[in-house]
Amino acid sequence: MADSDHEYSEQGSDDDIPTRNGTGRAGAPRGRAMASRPKGRAQAKWEAAASSNWELHEGADGSIEGVLGGLEEAGKRKRLLKDTTPLQRGIIRHTLLILDLSIAMIEKDLRPTRHLLTINYTVGFIREFFEQNPISQLGILGMRDGIAIRVSDMSGNPNDHINAVKALRGMDPKGSPSLQNALEMARAALYHTPSHGTREVVIVLGALLTSDPGDIHDTIKSCIKDRIRVSIIGLAAQMHICAEICRKTNAGDENSYNVAVDEVDYRELLMSITTPPVVRSTDTEAQRRNQAALLMMGFPSRIVEEKPTLCACHGNLTRGGYLCSRCKAKVCNLPATCPTCDLTLILSTHLARSYHHLFPLRNWVEVSWARARQKGSTQCYGCLAPFPHVPAAEERSEHNGTRAKRAEGASESSRYECETCQNHFCIDCDVFSHEVVHNCPGCQSSAHLPGAEEEANGVEGESDAMAT
Amino acid sequence: MNIVDATDRTEKLDEGEAPSLLTIILDTNPHAWALLTESLSLSKAVANLLVFINAHIAINHANRIAVIASHAERAEWLFPALARSQKDSHANGVHGDGEDMEMQDGEAADSDGPSLPRDDANKYRPFAYIEHVLLSNLRRLMESTTADALSSTPATMIAGALTLALTYISKQTQALPSATTSAQFNYSDATAVAGGNEMSGDGAKSQASMGLSSRILILSVSGDLASQYIPIMNSIFACQRLTIPIDILKLAGDTVFLQQAADATGGIYMALDNNSRAGFLQYLMFAYLADQAARDHLIMPGEGEGVDFRAACFCHRRIVDIGFVCSICLSIFCEPLQDNLCLTCGSHLSMGNYGQKPVVVPKRKKKKRRALADGGADTPASDRGTPAP
Ligand SMILES: [Zn+2]
Ligand SMILES: [Zn+2]
Ligand SMILES: [Zn+2]
Ligand SMILES: [Zn+2]
Ligand SMILES: [Zn+2]
Ligand SMILES: [Zn+2]
Repeated sequence: MADSDHEYSEQGSDDDIPTRNGTGRAGAPRGRAMASRPKGRAQAKWEAAASSNWELHEGADGSIEGVLGGLEEAGKRKRLLKDTTPLQRGIIRHTLLILDLSIAMIEKDLRPTRHLLTINYTVGFIREFFEQNPISQLGILGMRDGIAIRVSDMSGNPNDHINAVKALRGMDPKGSPSLQNALEMARAALYHTPSHGTREVVIVLGALLTSDPGDIHDTIKSCIKDRIRVSIIGLAAQMHICAEICRKTNAGDENSYNVAVDEVDYRELLMSITTPPVVRSTDTEAQRRNQAALLMMGFPSRIVEEKPTLCACHGNLTRGGYLCSRCKAKVCNLPATCPTCDLTLILSTHLARSYHHLFPLRNWVEVSWARARQKGSTQCYGCLAPFPHVPAAEERSEHNGTRAKRAEGASESSRYECETCQNHFCIDCDVFSHEVVHNCPGCQSSAHLPGAEEEANGVEGESDAMAT
Repeated sequence: MNIVDATDRTEKLDEGEAPSLLTIILDTNPHAWALLTESLSLSKAVANLLVFINAHIAINHANRIAVIASHAERAEWLFPALARSQKDSHANGVHGDGEDMEMQDGEAADSDGPSLPRDDANKYRPFAYIEHVLLSNLRRLMESTTADALSSTPATMIAGALTLALTYISKQTQALPSATTSAQFNYSDATAVAGGNEMSGDGAKSQASMGLSSRILILSVSGDLASQYIPIMNSIFACQRLTIPIDILKLAGDTVFLQQAADATGGIYMALDNNSRAGFLQYLMFAYLADQAARDHLIMPGEGEGVDFRAACFCHRRIVDIGFVCSICLSIFCEPLQDNLCLTCGSHLSMGNYGQKPVVVPKRKKKKRRALADGGADTPASDRGTPAP
């Protein structure tokens, strides 16, 4: 079993970040066909890896350095290039994470063991989940010894979950998992969640079996009825029932079932779930019925008090807190629901944290030597790091070799251009701007954006005019 | 020389004190400074700021400094200087007229950094170097500002300056292993992903003694920033993830967002009025000179004060304390929408039971009854025993 874990992950589970993030549109047209098995089988990832040689060719001067540098940059960029079309995303999420705690998790094919690695990754997952989804709720279940166990209840406090998950280190995996029991428990836990949020179940499955007390297809049907979406990360090999669960609960879209080939892949798969899911078209119909709502929320200000007073939420004596914007009851932490008047109290910063999903930064493009020469960029606009020197025009033919040498996806001139402000950036700033800060340093730094103006006027080659 | 040259990455530390990178964002909005000439002119403020910068450099020989101007229609580096090439018309004069300023100003344009100041035996060379670069860049910035540009954009580019500061800090931090990089950030850092199965998050804080710790100081004079709400918020979150405190010294104007920035990142917020503005240098030295490590042992100003957490509505840029939030895109509106269509994402929104009772969840009575009827019976299967395989 340990040897088979590379086998069944379909191609695209790793290389294809856009597909995974943009599942909504890819899956929508197939809505009716959800129950039928997909025809044929794509080339598995390990097959692709085995058939592609290391396409490393030494440069003319016999150096391999440029090739490797290119590979590294290409890798960084691959992670970045995602679909930047603004999509409706479910930002108020209710997610249940189901961990496999069965005997299969003792396997050491993922170091140190699947069990310990899962716990470590889960702690990171919890932090990242609340970072990305500050007003969402998470709960954690386990599958152990044939039954589903509750690890932590639905809550919006990351520390509750982290402590509960860390406590699992002392609990040895045992017995076999039951997908049906776990799904039923998840369904019960998600039953009371408000309809304007998403309902998601994420299963980490190490075993290659599920031992269920009844017919799991009934459970799948109830999950569809309850609008629960299931995504599964396999640690061993692909299982038909998992694919079926994911396909049926995601409107025919199978991208939510992935098998991790190694530790890095596992981590990426888990972390990709922290991105808010795209709202499907079927959901939009449902929204028209009863989901999307205009929620009234309070943005309370923090107060400081001389003397301690009772808080309305716990009845503890505290100094300071937040006053409900409507009824002036004092609560100690945000986000919260006012215990007196039921108003949702939140920090505006909690809401704003999700805006980059709604207004994503456009991908930057690779810069050719010719373009670099035209713009005359010598250093990164963001971090001031110097760029490699632009070769003179007559050297160009010689440097065509360089172009071929760089790995695909990396820019031949090590520059990346934002098309809106037409500034050039290094790969580090490219990654940083898209992954962390979600702003373009150039666009935010100038009130006059050549790219935007160009688009508006339809003027061609204005950058030539500018460069002179 | 190496000490102040922030691009030097090879320098090794040999003593316990961790170096810190102070990035100062100077709001040079001419409109706002014009109003302040009575109590504190820009030139006086810059002179005071230089004293403060020198103090920062003097504390630790490895300390670094970066200064960015958040000007009326662009944000620009004051220190370290841009390497300028003859073709790079970009940093200067993006708009058609009034460019070419830098071409005439030949002395500061050298790809190897600006020309050096005259050697003055009475001045510590790093101090002189910073002063020269900063002043010549600031002068060029002011000279290149046209009246046209000023009248068209009365705001200041704080969001851009913050983003520039962050990219710079991120690069500097990568060059030197950081004390401030938290585990949360490591995930998105491509190099950390390959690290595999480290105990994420647990031990990250303990090794904080070495490495570069960064902070940002914003000297703000402008008021309304609501138009840059989203990019500013994005920058604040980036600072939160990287645990970079944003200190704010407000010389004039009022904006709730900068106070939120300081609060969210653990920085210091102070606002000066007409009387206290004269003590600008003193405030800088006493409140803002201490780095994060020292701040643990000090009682910092601004602690134990309430913070205004109100938000700006998307429809009128009004500041609100109760708002209406679209459940799809989380846009904030100050009043119920007219035709129930979200102005940002266009979703059709039901109003819940607004006006009847204070509940934020729309009705779903019907649904509940149906779910109970056909789904309720077999729900509790979770604790049913499972036959052994
Ligand atoms: Zn309380
Ligand atoms: Zn209340
Ligand atoms: Zn850069
Ligand atoms: Zn840009
Ligand atoms: Zn409004
Ligand atoms: Zn909306």
